[in-house]
Amino acid sequence: MRIVVCMKAVPSTTEVRMDPVTHTIVRDGRQAVVNPFDASGLEVALEIRERLGGHVSALSMGIPDTVRLLRDAISRGADDGLLLSDRAFAGADTLATSYALSRAIARGGMPDLVVCGKMAVDGDTAQIGPELAGALGMSCVTDVREIEHVDEGHITARRRRDGALELVEAALPCVITVAKDAATPRMPSIAGVRRGEAGTVEVLDAEAAGCDPARCGLDGSPTQVVRSFVPERSATAERVEGTSAEQAERIEQIVEGMAL
Amino acid sequence: MVEIRPYSDEYEEYIRDESRTQGRADSISFPESEADVRDVLARLGGHVGVTVQGARTGLAAGAVPEGGHVMSMTHMNHYLGLRREEDADGTPRYLIRVEPGLVLSELRKALANDSVPTDGWDEESLAALTQMRQGPERFFPTDPTEASAMIGGIVACNASGARSYRYGPARPHVTALRVVLAEGDVLALRRGETFAHGRELDLTCEGGRHVHVDLPGYVMPHTKNASGYHAADNMDAIDLFIGSDGTLGIVTQVELELLAVPAVTWGVSCFLPSEDAALDLVDAARPALAHVSAMEYFDEGALEILRRQRETSAAFSALPEVPDGARACVFVELETDDAQQALAETYELGRLLTSVGASEDDTWVARTQVDRDAQTFFRHAVPESVNMLIDERRRTDPTITKLGSDMSVPDERLHDVVAMYRRTLAAAGLESAAWGHIGNNHLHVNVLPRDAADFSAGKALFRDWAREVTAMGGAVSAEHGVGKLKRDFLLAMYGPDHIREMAACKRQLDPAGILGRGNLFDEALLPGTEAATEKTTDTERTTDTDEGARA
Repeated sequence: MRIVVCMKAVPSTTEVRMDPVTHTIVRDGRQAVVNPFDASGLEVALEIRERLGGHVSALSMGIPDTVRLLRDAISRGADDGLLLSDRAFAGADTLATSYALSRAIARGGMPDLVVCGKMAVDGDTAQIGPELAGALGMSCVTDVREIEHVDEGHITARRRRDGALELVEAALPCVITVAKDAATPRMPSIAGVRRGEAGTVEVLDAEAAGCDPARCGLDGSPTQVVRSFVPERSATAERVEGTSAEQAERIEQIVEGMAL
Repeated sequence: MVEIRPYSDEYEEYIRDESRTQGRADSISFPESEADVRDVLARLGGHVGVTVQGARTGLAAGAVPEGGHVMSMTHMNHYLGLRREEDADGTPRYLIRVEPGLVLSELRKALANDSVPTDGWDEESLAALTQMRQGPERFFPTDPTEASAMIGGIVACNASGARSYRYGPARPHVTALRVVLAEGDVLALRRGETFAHGRELDLTCEGGRHVHVDLPGYVMPHTKNASGYHAADNMDAIDLFIGSDGTLGIVTQVELELLAVPAVTWGVSCFLPSEDAALDLVDAARPALAHVSAMEYFDEGALEILRRQRETSAAFSALPEVPDGARACVFVELETDDAQQALAETYELGRLLTSVGASEDDTWVARTQVDRDAQTFFRHAVPESVNMLIDERRRTDPTITKLGSDMSVPDERLHDVVAMYRRTLAAAGLESAAWGHIGNNHLHVNVLPRDAADFSAGKALFRDWAREVTAMGGAVSAEHGVGKLKRDFLLAMYGPDHIREMAACKRQLDPAGILGRGNLFDEALLPGTEAATEKTTDTERTTDTDEGARA
């Protein structure tokens, strides 16, 4: 079974600070890490390969340093890595990103399964998986919590939907997007680290990946981020004292005053 | 004026600590300043015993009162300022001044998030902070397992933690103290300013009063040690108060050196087929690896507990799975200037593993925060699981508690001490799990009693170990302090004459013997000496009390 896992580099902190003047994310110089949903996706892929055999490739799009994350994926068990890195990709929205990823995936012949994290912790869009399925002409199962069964032709997975779990069967090839609890990522071993450092990570620019420049980066992005900001919040506290009746009366006044 | 409140059930939590020792108290106060501390001492009249408390996370009952007054430092938790110094080569040093009630995890968080509160700071401190921000992130390296410990408690027992392999205990990182003595005088001590002459120390209080102190004459073991007063020829005065278990004075301010956070931190868990292979790995790794900050151990008993927990407890189901056939685990933390250096050390560790008959495949390398968190979860799950196991067994026999050792030996005796533990545990037929700081030859061997007979046998074993470890040139307490639970071990380590010297040293600073009564030595040594002399010369009596170490 051929499996491609899409992995994104995200800021290492979840406490993103915005610059109040420029409204951009304050980069604190800490190294990027792999999106935790994608890390679970890699583990799902490795567990499938352990059962059925096959080949797992890790795929990313980003700056050249992202090679480091793909080597880390190899150290955890991926067979190889592929990085799309080109200034032409800069400023891509989810559509332009999924287009570029789909070209890279299709380049080696259609895989049996594409695994994505259900979302990235920085952008939070959860759009890449479904858009990628559209671009590749595959079906898509989102928010997968557990792989119930997989064989050469089908996958059966549990996914969260409207507060319930849904059991979905899909024919392969398909795209799945996974939640963090789908699998706990394994740690690499020293032997794995050696494999990661010595392993193959191919780096492609837009042309080598066979991308149409008009559909890449900012030019290929129909959506634009106009402004990002942290919503202003205010909180005050008041100690409510007195008898139970007095306290209840005061609480009623406060709730009314909130104009819910 | 701070209130001295009579003790009531409302303050129940203040008469016990993490060792699960229950004490008693007559009154309690929560001072908010050094002036409050002096005021409380004055109003208590100089004869009431005073037990100073931090977060009560100690494992030797040092903060558990045996009657008298409890002084909780929880309200003295402020950041007071920052000082910048330069070494001879121009390297900056940053020294933060805090109150003793500051919680370690809060300090870590404030430094990591660059959110140290600066209310009331002077211009010099604010300027130092501005300069510190321009350099690498800073941290305080002492890392006891319990991050809810308070700085004052860390100073009182000279706490350590896993990273003591590289950074030593808290002692060298404490650069200044303000200490209120039992009679209300204040000592301002800064490292490098006041030294003993041989074993004689002359201190001058802020009000001008002179205090002469005769330091104990023993030679401290050349190993990780938190057993009794620090005493050495020509020693720095500040070191007498660090690790003094709240018996010599009340710390009201602490200055700590902040170190630069290493550029790269990796953790490597190495699983081995036998304990002998693990000890051989430690022997080989100590001289071969130059960037190790921690070297920790988990024996077969500890791994078995984790395997069971993973299968049976939902809270531990996310634990990484221990490789099949693993009977021991050595965790090595590397701190380096860059990733290439860390990679080279990791490969060298892999080579050493192969040379002792283990496999590079049976390792976990944590290079990301997520993986480091998983490793920390794994390491901390061991003591937590043991506590759960003992709590379960206490339901059928409430008289038993966990029995955990805290002893260390010099490097060359590591194999001997582990063989001694194994031989005596097997002979006594006791269940056990061992883990801890193997790089410092400092294991917490925990006896897991199934019933009262096991508990009693375990305590007897610990008394034997105290003598054996002392004979190997080791320390009976390496990091938890002596408190009330290990004073018999201290007696075994130093003998009655040196214990009397310690008591005499205390009486020169605390003539009425009010501070930390019951810590380090039998209360009978304070304030009179004659009765005490008779008592403490009988070693067998004092080592046969009901107080086993419950580290």
